[in-house]
Amino acid sequence: MADEELPVIARFEVRRRSYLALDGTVLRPLPGFASDTNVLISLYRGMVLTRAFDLKAVSLQRTGRLGTYAVSLGQEAVSVGIASAMREEDVVLPSYRDNGTLLWRGTKMEEILLFWGGDERGNLSSGPAHDFPYCIPVASQAPHAAGVAYAFKLRKEPRVAVCLFGDGATSKGDVWEAMNFAGVHKLPVVFVANNNQWAISVPLQLQTASQTLAQKAIAAGFSGEQVDGNDVIAMRAAAEDAIVQARAGGGPRLIEAVTYRLSDHTTADDAARYRPPEEVQARWKEEPIARLRAYLVSQKAWGKSQEEELAADCQKRIEAAIERYLATAPRAPATMFDHLYAELPRTYAGQRAELSGGSDA
Amino acid sequence: MPEVTLVEAVNLALARAMEEDANVVVLGEDVGVNGGVFRATVGLQQRFGAERVIDTPLAELLISGLCVGMAAQGLRPVGEIQFMGFIYPCIDQLVNHASRLRNRTQGRLSCPMVLRTPHGGGIRAPEHHSESTEAMLAHIPGLRVVMPSCPERAYGLLLAAIRDPDPVVFLEPTRIYRASKGQVEDNGEALPLDVAFVLRQGRDVTLISWGAAVKETLAAADELAAEGIEAEVIDLATLKPYDEETVLASVTRTGRCVIVHEAARTGGFGAEIAALLAERGLTSLLAPIARVTGYDTIMPLPRLEQRYIPSVARIVAATRKVCQFS
Amino acid sequence: MRQFILPDLGEGLEEAEIVTWHVNEGDRVVVDQPLVSLETDKAVVEVPSPWSGRIARLFGGKGDLIKVGAPLVEFAEGAQGDTGTVVGELGQEEKAARAEAPTPAPARSLQVLPAVRALARKLDVDLNLVQASGPGGTITRADVERAAKSLAEAGPAEPLRGMRRAMAQRMAAAHAEVVRTTVNDEADIDDWRKGEDVTIRLVRAIASACQAEPSLNAWYNAEAGERRLIKRIDIGIAVDTEGGLIVPVLRNVGERDASDLRAGLDRLRADAAARSIPPEELRGATITLSNFGMIGGRFANLIVVPPQVAIVGAGRIDQRVLVHNGQPAARRVLPLSLTFDHRVVTGGEAARFLVALKSDLERPS
Repeated sequence: MADEELPVIARFEVRRRSYLALDGTVLRPLPGFASDTNVLISLYRGMVLTRAFDLKAVSLQRTGRLGTYAVSLGQEAVSVGIASAMREEDVVLPSYRDNGTLLWRGTKMEEILLFWGGDERGNLSSGPAHDFPYCIPVASQAPHAAGVAYAFKLRKEPRVAVCLFGDGATSKGDVWEAMNFAGVHKLPVVFVANNNQWAISVPLQLQTASQTLAQKAIAAGFSGEQVDGNDVIAMRAAAEDAIVQARAGGGPRLIEAVTYRLSDHTTADDAARYRPPEEVQARWKEEPIARLRAYLVSQKAWGKSQEEELAADCQKRIEAAIERYLATAPRAPATMFDHLYAELPRTYAGQRAELSGGSDA
Repeated sequence: MPEVTLVEAVNLALARAMEEDANVVVLGEDVGVNGGVFRATVGLQQRFGAERVIDTPLAELLISGLCVGMAAQGLRPVGEIQFMGFIYPCIDQLVNHASRLRNRTQGRLSCPMVLRTPHGGGIRAPEHHSESTEAMLAHIPGLRVVMPSCPERAYGLLLAAIRDPDPVVFLEPTRIYRASKGQVEDNGEALPLDVAFVLRQGRDVTLISWGAAVKETLAAADELAAEGIEAEVIDLATLKPYDEETVLASVTRTGRCVIVHEAARTGGFGAEIAALLAERGLTSLLAPIARVTGYDTIMPLPRLEQRYIPSVARIVAATRKVCQFS
Repeated sequence: MRQFILPDLGEGLEEAEIVTWHVNEGDRVVVDQPLVSLETDKAVVEVPSPWSGRIARLFGGKGDLIKVGAPLVEFAEGAQGDTGTVVGELGQEEKAARAEAPTPAPARSLQVLPAVRALARKLDVDLNLVQASGPGGTITRADVERAAKSLAEAGPAEPLRGMRRAMAQRMAAAHAEVVRTTVNDEADIDDWRKGEDVTIRLVRAIASACQAEPSLNAWYNAEAGERRLIKRIDIGIAVDTEGGLIVPVLRNVGERDASDLRAGLDRLRADAAARSIPPEELRGATITLSNFGMIGGRFANLIVVPPQVAIVGAGRIDQRVLVHNGQPAARRVLPLSLTFDHRVVTGGEAARFLVALKSDLERPS
């Protein structure tokens, strides 16, 4: 029997969501929230602040006042779009390139600086106390998200876990195992694969042979959607859809946000080593802030004075945060033992005392 | 009071914990319908439901990662890894997350999880089912590592582990799962963690052990008593953090120490105890510290495994030798 | 350095005001990255970067007017150096330490466990004096207690000084090096005249034996593995003084007559007693005589002091019953011990030397 004669028992489809063309013109009817320009403006402000803060952080690193930093240049629509669709009682499990999300949900800029500046107090976070901190071991936050979502389901709470990770993470077993479990138990979790095309120097073509990242959900038994990650309206809409569905008991979804990492991997990386400047130059044309601005301007909802005002406001807030960060003295060495356990076992009292400059045990 | 085996004691403790606290959740492969391959979780799903006793997919990394997420949300997950030989995918979640979640969030989040697994060899199992790599885990700051040696301590220490606000790896000695019997009152009383148990008092030499090896150590002590050597036997029980004071007090008194563990010699947890004695008990030592351990080779398949596991004879010989120094 | 000149903004505008910079000095930017927002009459315009590179300098601040054609941004030459990492900072180059051959552990002479050491300190017992009876040569508590008891009964410790100290060191060194072998005999000196000068007979007999078997009048350099046979016979004479053992050298015995030798020997003894022997007189012996028989004792296993290879011991002259001319008879005998360094001297050479020595001594006066 030839292959074509065998019955097809499964097919899949993946849809792609976008609303704004590169020049800001509208491609299809916008979702409901987009008719309120105030909502769009708040998204715009969120992205602009994120970028301005990121670039300022880079200059702090260059002048020796911050450690290694991961910039999210070009990805602001992903972080802000997703965060804007979440409720406070939801839980976000970020990667390490999601400052837009953290800022939107209430983390203070000086806390972000404290973390990258090398102080654990940065993870104390003024955002929701139940949000997870940065996750450096790539993809390892995915099983956490499944665990969090399971707790929501067990306690019958209408809350959703939102897990952010990159394209590289989708190659790891952690993401597969978490999605697989989430599918089996129809957990209230939204997985967001931020596909910025690069895992340090490894391009997407070497990361996976799959046509999309979104379709990886199919194998886990739920749907995946590809979204133009540089269209914040599309990001917000996709996130809202998925989160509403999850909250209502409809199970998990995978959102693939297609974007581009316009910056180096970190401040220590030099992307010119592995990708040509012409490629980056071309991708700048797709960046999210200019795109939304073009739309807002076309709707006469934004202009130069607002731009000026926004720039000044961001500058002021960022400077103030930097000042607070720089004024924060390092913790006393003995605090290394704080929060090691709920109560420090007496075995370690001697070492703690040593750090205090007291006698050793 | 009923007499139960060690694995039955584990089952009692799990049931008691789940009864008392609706946040306690059990998860792992085959733990639900099958009651666990060693029957440690038998009856729990029938009693508490499939939502709280979860048959997970075959994915150890997932099991440990789920525990982290659940624990951060205030559940009390007790994950089971079917054999210690399969715990290694969990190392990432244990070391990178469980052990440090409280510390890196300065107390904002914490991780009250338990990961249980059968430990050690001697059950004539195929490869990879006889691991004893507790020293790797005892090295990790922020973790607790606990190993009972009898039903009574299995019950009391597991309850303590589940109630503890921090992550615990609970290692259950496989070869005494059924062979160790004892009276256990199901009264919900936990035993203290971080504390060593003196099982036998003696003035001549201190024998320190944990897990299944405690059985042989006690038998050795009996044999030695017949030749006039009175051995003190200590069950370390919690390896991380361990009860330094009890160990030091005993060896200061006896002046001699023999450490017995099934795990391989080099870098085994006995080395840590020997270092402690050298640092803080040296002037009391009347004899070199001796370690009776598994050999520095791969745990052999069943035909040879009894030659690997420290025998009563090896413990007796080492202790006699140590008592010749004075 | 490359300067980016403000390009024509269009519509005949000649200048624009800086609204906000989007980059900082020191930043790495890529082509088309927005550098600055400038305000013209018509709008706020974003100016993209013409190149990728590092920003060295920004011209002007917020509110400043920049003319078309004037420099806006200066780029540093070349890209940022390779940090060689993706996180953190790698330190500067440091020379790595070179591994050296490990020093072998010295042989430990004392095997003592800490608690026993503490006991010895408490009982004021010198562990070097304790005999070890524990496994592996370790000292036990009982050993220490036993030593404490004996030491309590012994006299006070007296440090060795002067000649005694020198002897202790010299003998130890010799013992460590020399392979000692001794061969004994007796010389029948019954036919000597009364009042014969024993020591002078001995030294002349030694000289004669040296001539018969020169290999015992030699110096051996163990390190170089070299032996020197010496023509001149300079005999060290062991002298027992109040201060201890001293071995002045009687020079050129082979060529001096008896009375000259006697005079020389007397002078040496007098100087020794007076402790006025100059150091040169103690050096350079080619063979030694220990006439311990003057005090007592018959045979002895003596110490050969390098670089010498032999030492002759003369015991106490006594009457012994021997077989003489086939009949038992009481004869005066002089016991002889010859200790030699068997690294350098063969048994045959030693035996021949001894035979010659005995033979010379047995000649009637």
